[in-house]
Amino acid sequence: MTIAELVDSSVTVEFAHLDEQSKRVIRRAILTAVAVPGYQVPFASQEMPVARGWGSGGLQVTLAAIGPNDVIKVIDQGDDDGINAANLRRLIVATTDVEETTDAREATIIQSRHRIPEEPLTSAQLLVLQVPVPEVLRGVERDMNEMRRMHAESDYSKMWVSLYEDLVRNGVVTASTGYPVLVNGRYVMATTPIPRWDIPQLDNAEFLTLFGAGREKRIYAIPPHTKVEPLTFDDVAFEVEITPGATCLLCATSDTYLIEVPSHHGWICSDTDFCTRKRQDNV
Amino acid sequence: MSEWALHVEGLTKWYGSTLACRDVGFTVAAGEAIGIIGESGSGKSTALRCIAGDVRASSGRVLLQKEGGAIDLLELSDAERRGLRVDTLSIVFQDPSEGLDLRVTAGGNIAERLTAAGWRNFSAIRSRARDLLDRVDVPIDRMDDLVETFSGGMRQRVQLAKAVANEPSLLLLDEPTTGLDASVAAGVLDLIRSLLETTRVTAVVVSHDMSVISMLTSRAIVMHQGHVVEAGLTDQLFEDPQHAYTQQLVSAARG
Amino acid sequence: MGYAAARGGLEAILAAEDLVRRKRTEGSSAPLEVDQITDRLRLSVDRVMGEAGLWAPELAARALRQAEGDLVEAAHLLRAYRSTRRRLARPVTVDADELEILRRIVPAYRVPEGPQLLGRTLDYVGRLLDTSDRVSTGVEEATHAGTEPQVLVFGGETDRRPERLLEQLRRNDLALDRRRSDDPEPYDINVHPVRPGVPRSARLSVMARAETGALVNLWYRNVLGPDGYIREITLGEVRHGWLPVRVEHPATGQPVNLGRIRVTETEAIEDLDGDDEARDHFDVGYGMCVGHNERKAIAMANLDIAVHRDGGRSSLEQSVLMTTDGLESSGFLEHLKLPHYVTFRSMVERKMSLRAVASGERNDDRAAAIEDEEIRTEAVVGA
Repeated sequence: MTIAELVDSSVTVEFAHLDEQSKRVIRRAILTAVAVPGYQVPFASQEMPVARGWGSGGLQVTLAAIGPNDVIKVIDQGDDDGINAANLRRLIVATTDVEETTDAREATIIQSRHRIPEEPLTSAQLLVLQVPVPEVLRGVERDMNEMRRMHAESDYSKMWVSLYEDLVRNGVVTASTGYPVLVNGRYVMATTPIPRWDIPQLDNAEFLTLFGAGREKRIYAIPPHTKVEPLTFDDVAFEVEITPGATCLLCATSDTYLIEVPSHHGWICSDTDFCTRKRQDNV
Repeated sequence: MSEWALHVEGLTKWYGSTLACRDVGFTVAAGEAIGIIGESGSGKSTALRCIAGDVRASSGRVLLQKEGGAIDLLELSDAERRGLRVDTLSIVFQDPSEGLDLRVTAGGNIAERLTAAGWRNFSAIRSRARDLLDRVDVPIDRMDDLVETFSGGMRQRVQLAKAVANEPSLLLLDEPTTGLDASVAAGVLDLIRSLLETTRVTAVVVSHDMSVISMLTSRAIVMHQGHVVEAGLTDQLFEDPQHAYTQQLVSAARG
Repeated sequence: MGYAAARGGLEAILAAEDLVRRKRTEGSSAPLEVDQITDRLRLSVDRVMGEAGLWAPELAARALRQAEGDLVEAAHLLRAYRSTRRRLARPVTVDADELEILRRIVPAYRVPEGPQLLGRTLDYVGRLLDTSDRVSTGVEEATHAGTEPQVLVFGGETDRRPERLLEQLRRNDLALDRRRSDDPEPYDINVHPVRPGVPRSARLSVMARAETGALVNLWYRNVLGPDGYIREITLGEVRHGWLPVRVEHPATGQPVNLGRIRVTETEAIEDLDGDDEARDHFDVGYGMCVGHNERKAIAMANLDIAVHRDGGRSSLEQSVLMTTDGLESSGFLEHLKLPHYVTFRSMVERKMSLRAVASGERNDDRAAAIEDEEIRTEAVVGA
């Protein structure tokens, strides 16, 4: 490549948008994250063509990890056709020319906001979760130096106190999504916000999950076969979202994460791919 | 002397060129309570905070007997020191807000100490917190109230309950009744005395008040302008003070 | 039930993009040329370059046009563009003393060493809305009819690289000398993330790239706000001018000039009064940002010295480092517009669960345990 080409702004961008140097920075952070499950690895987040808070972290992880033979699936709230998903998928495909799919079984990389597909993923698949707020301690502590110390010393008693207080005040743990989990018995970690429904899927999973927080410049990971325990007392059951009697208006299942449709006084699956295939008897 | 639990020697703290305390030393037997008396500015609180590790001493040794031998508290890293504070060394401050989170319930404050020590059973934590609060005479129906709604005396009781939650071997008390109304202070003092008597805890009590020291301790040291001027049995110190400063203290108290 | 999922994300996005494109060319006026923006909207272009952290007037103007004048959006376009560009070289650190001034004022002295050079500034132009239809050049022609622009200088020569006031303060032993050798290479915030405890150069870089309004607000909040830590400084220097950009020549290793950029530089003199401070001296905070943006540079210099003096006692450093980036705050704020129905459903479920427990409808073991306790409690209290 000549100097003239280097400085010529019309020269097309590289494979997967980011230059190789930026990708290497991200890959190094990913490797560290996999080596230390649940630890938030700081990385030099690049400016992406999407706003910070709109999946710029997940996007960087995907673009650093993707190869020409990958098959990509992108979902937002479980929906392949959600605007955030459609937007990010368009960008990934446009800069890599990889194949895209909505079928969770066919994808090699699944980038998601707020959900894990209902379909159990395999060891051949990578799940990338977009993370708006990576710091699990922010609810109980605001000082960043103190938060670092708490993580370093596994000093999570403030988290336990907040759980205790919640139970005392409300009789239930009111934490909804992004429920804190203890990873590999060492780091307490925020679960992006995926619903509690999805958390059991992370425990001792077959697949690798990478968490990308672009705005806050953190990457963290749950490697396959890692213990993931929701933070709760021994004698207080961890509860997932279940509404008795609720079934999907479309596929009639009651065994998925259902979202309410007030206009129809009913419920539907949040995972549109699963719901579609269920109706086709293809699950 | 029998088995010692805490041995302090040469404890010195300079703030720049200002001396806070110099060459403070004493030895405390297991289960014994020792007093440090002096007026404000005498360096007694600084010495206590150096022992606790909240203030970094300029020099000296603070040996604490533990299973497997004595450790020097001044040589611990911050993380090790904080680890020690969970179940080995507790400090009770004059101001309860230093030892408590006022925006948390009384039970929650105790839960903090228990969960730090690894308690993970909600019912067990509740039950332990209830017992502790009962022991310090905090009405059980206040257990789920925020500490900020408590009176000063009640806060101090909760602080004591929290401090002994994990049965520490060493308890440091910094002016534990100062600032409380006389009648409330007397009650808290009784409570501390019974805690010291009914447990095997070793204690260091810092106070400017002779009645506090004589009620809680059998031996004491007198500090003045950063130095230890006299040491001995608490009774004798106050009956027959040798140093001019101690004499002054005693006569002022009898005033 | 007749439920049909209302979806079609991609179609909706394409339609929105089409509308944006149409709006850009709507109306009867002539299309906006890039040079019009660089010539006429100089301060907007400078601000976009500053917040993007990239000197590129033409690209900034394009970004501004594409963003329909939205400065944060334009800065985003420029930064996102930069992140795809390969680094060709690392610049050699230049000494700010090389700044060739276009404007320099020294509020601390009436007649300082070197010039008080007012230069081009809106400061003294009456804030009178020009409602005439004459284009602005007409006004200037009337004022400067046929003459070369005047450079008005008070005191001293038109020295374009005057010695800074700080040098004189140091010579007179009035200012602390905090120059240090252990942070020689500025911290590159594009390569390394920042968090509290980073070197001062990282703090300065973050502020140089911060959103102007955010920095001004943080400064003002710390002057007037309930948790404020800042008092008014005296400005030693306010400079606007040219700085060379240098790289090492790949063959000779010698520094060579690639060009120059305009920057604004300020020095804030702080009156030390703390017990643990050198109260017989002043200290100085520093600000510099790309382009002509005095508000930003002044807020920056004052915040720089405030963070130093604060020494970690308050959360000021964290506020400066973590909350002033326009792209981050705007992005996070705007993400609230994204669908959140998965999380909201989970929240509603917890509300229902809480109600069930409160109404006694749900009575599992633990609820029962708490109830038992309450009974015991009553017994204790009763006794």
